Amino acid sequence: MKPVRSPLTGLLLPVAGFAVLAALPLIFSDAFFVAAVTLAFLGAAASLAWNLSGGYAGQLSLGHAAFYGLGAYVSTILFLKAGISPLIGMWLGAIVSAALAVFLGAITMRLKGSFFVMSTLAFGAVVHISAINLRDLTGGPSGLAIPLRPSPENLIFAKKLIYTYVALVLVIVFYAITRMIAASKIGYALVAFRENHDAARALGIRTLPLRIGVFALSAGLISICGTVHAQYYLYVDPDSVMGLNLSLNFALMAIVGGLGTAYGPIVGALLVSVVSVVMQAYLGDQISGLTQLAYAAIVILVLLVAPTGLGPSAHAFLKRRMTWLS
Amino acid sequence: MDIYIQLALSGLFIGGVYALISVGLTLVFGVLRVVNFAHGEYLTIAMYLTYFMFQRVGIDPFVASIAVVPLMFVLGLATERLLIRPTLEAPHVVQVFVTFALSLFLQNLLLALFTSDFRSVRTPYATAAFQIGPLYVSWLRAAVFVVALAFAGGLAAFLKYTYMGSAIRATAQDRRSARLVGINVDRVYAVTFALGCALVGAAGILLSPLFSVNPYTGADMILVSFVIVVLGGMGSIAGAVTAGLLIGVVESFTGYLAGGELKQLVYFVLFMIVLAVRPNGLFGRKGAEVMDVT
Repeated sequence: MKPVRSPLTGLLLPVAGFAVLAALPLIFSDAFFVAAVTLAFLGAAASLAWNLSGGYAGQLSLGHAAFYGLGAYVSTILFLKAGISPLIGMWLGAIVSAALAVFLGAITMRLKGSFFVMSTLAFGAVVHISAINLRDLTGGPSGLAIPLRPSPENLIFAKKLIYTYVALVLVIVFYAITRMIAASKIGYALVAFRENHDAARALGIRTLPLRIGVFALSAGLISICGTVHAQYYLYVDPDSVMGLNLSLNFALMAIVGGLGTAYGPIVGALLVSVVSVVMQAYLGDQISGLTQLAYAAIVILVLLVAPTGLGPSAHAFLKRRMTWLS
Repeated sequence: MDIYIQLALSGLFIGGVYALISVGLTLVFGVLRVVNFAHGEYLTIAMYLTYFMFQRVGIDPFVASIAVVPLMFVLGLATERLLIRPTLEAPHVVQVFVTFALSLFLQNLLLALFTSDFRSVRTPYATAAFQIGPLYVSWLRAAVFVVALAFAGGLAAFLKYTYMGSAIRATAQDRRSARLVGINVDRVYAVTFALGCALVGAAGILLSPLFSVNPYTGADMILVSFVIVVLGGMGSIAGAVTAGLLIGVVESFTGYLAGGELKQLVYFVLFMIVLAVRPNGLFGRKGAEVMDVT
């Protein structure tokens, strides 16, 4: 069971944490670093969205890039073809993603473990291949470019730093949503299902509608990240917004940081960006693949040594130390 | 009409290799209850080994299998010992992502070592063909088909007639009872996983004269293999072979009728339908795949 939160860890610590995150791009203000921080924040937001369903309900989806990509494509296509602002388009993208998630969930939510994983893989592949082939709509493999017309209502900014804070706002909002759900009856029902679905069922907890609902919420939220991705790069193409590696990364960030915790995805995303910044700083781009190689090695080590993720493992370690000392 | 027979034949030939890839995956799942998401990377590794043996030493791919298959077996043993065994009792999420991370690791290791360039094994006999009535049959593809099915048949015989084979089948049926009657279950796990890698290695060797290899080749192939394994029924070897041949033919027809890119779409949609309608597949045992839902 979850311990009663003290005001220190419940409110002060997160606020202090977000204040540090907000200060990061101001302290180190060169363009390379700001870009890395922005991507870390965007990754953290997407991973938080993934974690709602993947972490709390244990539905390990590897098709979430499809929803991320839908968010990017729906807002971009509406903006390019009908002049609709991405501020509206991102909500429409979220609705499309959530609706699709309800459909997918209705088919796949009864599948166990690896079968669910494989069905989401197939779903991700179907959407990815469709995006490549619907050339009239999506521009095919070469993608769509968004003209640079900076204005807040286009969600296009000449200063890249603004995107950093847009992404940070997403992180904070998604973190708050996660905390609210985790503390609610829904959150407890999902965790009960994740830990032992037979026992949860015996207690009379009906999780199917909840799981589908949270899956849809997770899909809708990650789709908003996709829209921000499109506006940041001003470019959308199937491989960079719908690739399998993207789905894998959303999941791995949460797992490395701490699956099913509200702060885990943020820790994981920051770690990933630290690894990639360090690798790029020391090795440059001489040999492709090395950053990902190091990342994969770290993930494997974390899974073997600290399978609950770095955050919870560190917490447990500190707690043991504290009881020793006292 | 002839074109359709020709299509069916070429689909069947490639389906033989798909079957061999999937047999390893389904065997490992049936015994260890683990889906090895890095299965495709072992295919890639075997293709690279075959390529370098051919290119640097001049050994024919079919001869190279004598060295490559045992090498893949040893690699499988090492993987099982280092990554699979420590996580067998771990939560499901750890099992899934340890093999996914391994896949990422191996892909990028191969990328760092060999770049993303495509490399191909060009044998002198690659284009040789013979004719039966109106049909043209490539010697190479026919040989690949025969050897692939021979490997699958060899596995079936091994499982049926040897002590280790019986132990593997017993463990697949009920691991606790298998331990009770004195089967060394840990050894069964190790041998099964290594067999899976050796079989996908054999498939890699057979594919190398037909397809060029780069670090992502296995990842592309493996998605087909998931479709086949689920369609055939997770854990069923007869199912994997049947579904492998079937998917080969389906792919060949949709590739011809709908174009190369859409053929993938067709089998993924098929996959979703199978999972929705009959998730235990054509030959699978019930119970592994769905839960009672509320």
